[in-house]
Amino acid sequence: MTLNGLDRQLLVVVGAGGVGKTTLAAALGLQSAKAGADTLVMTFDPSLRLKDALGVGEEAKERPATVKAGTKGRLDVALLDARTTFDRLIRRYAPDAAAAERIFSNRFYRDLAGNLAGILEYMAVERLFEVQSERRYERIILDTPPTRQALDFLEAPDRIVNFLDSGAIRIALKPWWEQGGGLRGMPMRLAAKGVEEIADRIIGIRLLGDMLEFFRAFVPLYDGFRERAEEVRKLLRAPETLFVLVSGPGADRIPDTLFFARKLGERGHHVGPIVVNQIHPEAPAPDTPGPLAEGLALFHFLGQRDRDGVVRLRKLLSKGEPLVAVPLTATPPTDLPSLTRLGATLLAQLPG
Amino acid sequence: MKVLDALAKLQLVVVTGKGGVGKTTVAAALARLLAARGRRTLLLEIDPRESLHQLLGTEPSGGKIIKAGARLAVQNLQAQAVIEALVREKVKVGMLAKRIVSSPVFQHFTEGAPGLKEMSVLGYALRTVEGEYRHKADVVVLDAPATGHGASMLSAPLLLAEAVEGGQLGEMAQDLAGFIADPGRCGVVLATLAEEMPVQELIELVTLLRERMGRPPELVVANALYPPYPTDAPAPRRPDWAETLVLWEQRRAVNQRELARLERIWKGPLVELPLLPVERGPVLLAQIADALGEALA
Repeated sequence: MTLNGLDRQLLVVVGAGGVGKTTLAAALGLQSAKAGADTLVMTFDPSLRLKDALGVGEEAKERPATVKAGTKGRLDVALLDARTTFDRLIRRYAPDAAAAERIFSNRFYRDLAGNLAGILEYMAVERLFEVQSERRYERIILDTPPTRQALDFLEAPDRIVNFLDSGAIRIALKPWWEQGGGLRGMPMRLAAKGVEEIADRIIGIRLLGDMLEFFRAFVPLYDGFRERAEEVRKLLRAPETLFVLVSGPGADRIPDTLFFARKLGERGHHVGPIVVNQIHPEAPAPDTPGPLAEGLALFHFLGQRDRDGVVRLRKLLSKGEPLVAVPLTATPPTDLPSLTRLGATLLAQLPG
Repeated sequence: MKVLDALAKLQLVVVTGKGGVGKTTVAAALARLLAARGRRTLLLEIDPRESLHQLLGTEPSGGKIIKAGARLAVQNLQAQAVIEALVREKVKVGMLAKRIVSSPVFQHFTEGAPGLKEMSVLGYALRTVEGEYRHKADVVVLDAPATGHGASMLSAPLLLAEAVEGGQLGEMAQDLAGFIADPGRCGVVLATLAEEMPVQELIELVTLLRERMGRPPELVVANALYPPYPTDAPAPRRPDWAETLVLWEQRRAVNQRELARLERIWKGPLVELPLLPVERGPVLLAQIADALGEALA
């Protein structure tokens, strides 16, 4: 049994929030393991039911848990948690225990670093690097964080690395911390002085001190962060990596889906199938008034709306990317048999 | 007191919920209702990919304030622009302000600093209702980012007020934390679908609001419900209806199961809005606003 074009080393499942990415990632994982590949599904926020169905709990935040699905290949699930990953990273890469402790006890790290924009996405990148370099799996399926702007995930490594790398923090804080600290050239000095003044006046001295301490403690870790992010950047554009783009049904989702497909291509990623999920099946129009008429008319409308959406999307896809329409099922797929059926439905629509 | 009467006394209504649950529709419907009650209403969208204009039938805002009806205006607000305007206001020297705003240091800082963007949006809302801008409004309805980010939007001032001592940011955070915590001025409306994940997130969010802000939301809206399934509907049923009827019955059952789960932890006002056979646009919005208004009256 093959995966019909999805037999790559890394599958990245992307799409807007609430379109069923996590469920599809799990369904693909089952198919992959069934086909004989040792597979890891990395996910962020599965529902309780899905966790139950897969038989994994909180322990999967620390290390991958194996799903007892009786598949030919092994199926593991790892839950991504920003704080757990961040803590582990610091423990692993800090030069010594004291340096790690300095970061852990920093108030900025404790209270605010978890809320840093893009940190969840960045931690996913770190975790992906970790798993990939261990080479314990033949295939990794990465479910992406539930951001409204799904691109955030792909931009996060660049953004955070730029933030750390640009010396922004160092330039901003150095003159304040070390009076007269080595800045050359008047314009720079003027800009730095302005920033320092503003930072002081607007942000306040205590937070500034905490932040500085945090970034100082972080300095020995910078280079590693940058190198790993660079590796992941390459991996996400490699031929063995394929993006599966998931969209909700209905014509009003089309602009988002097209936008995302185009952006992925522009950024040098390999875009695989586009999955329009949870499509209302076509329903006959009610012909007689009665207690069922109103409901039937609604389902007739939804069936048409979703079919029109798929037809229009197919027309607008410029490169003839394969389009998969997954119907809405009567009950949500939250056990192993229904997840297996979902995966099979998806694969059946791809060219073999 | 009726829920709509209570909402009509507020200065800021924050609408949030999981992505894809119709948060924007609920926010727009609420804004219409408040405007209809005589409140000058500003509906704020902060997703850079605008979608409110499609619902309202207006042109895209592009950052500008656009009239969308009697006493109703809409604006797509970019946090970055608000922060830059603030710097220009605080730094009197134009050249210096320009240099700061365009420096990579500043760009990275505002991009990465926790809570700054959230604070700037809330600050904009506060200053609007306090009449500090040319555009006057009695109430701001904020179509906040999806749940995780929506919660951090509300808790940002509190978090910063605790982390920062002094400085204008610290003072601003204090002011905003007070504004957000005042149930007479600011209210939270949560939107959800009656499905497992959205309800799960909603339950977590209600808990978070209670813990962090010490108060519940004003209202929970369960959106896009399938209609009740008439189990006792008499024959004849055409054979080609069979599949649709099973889907209807089962999906309605999911809705009911999740509503029941929600009601076990949420005893406050809950409005159920139907899934309607109408394309997204002004017609849909009018019908949703009517349904919401009826439920809240």
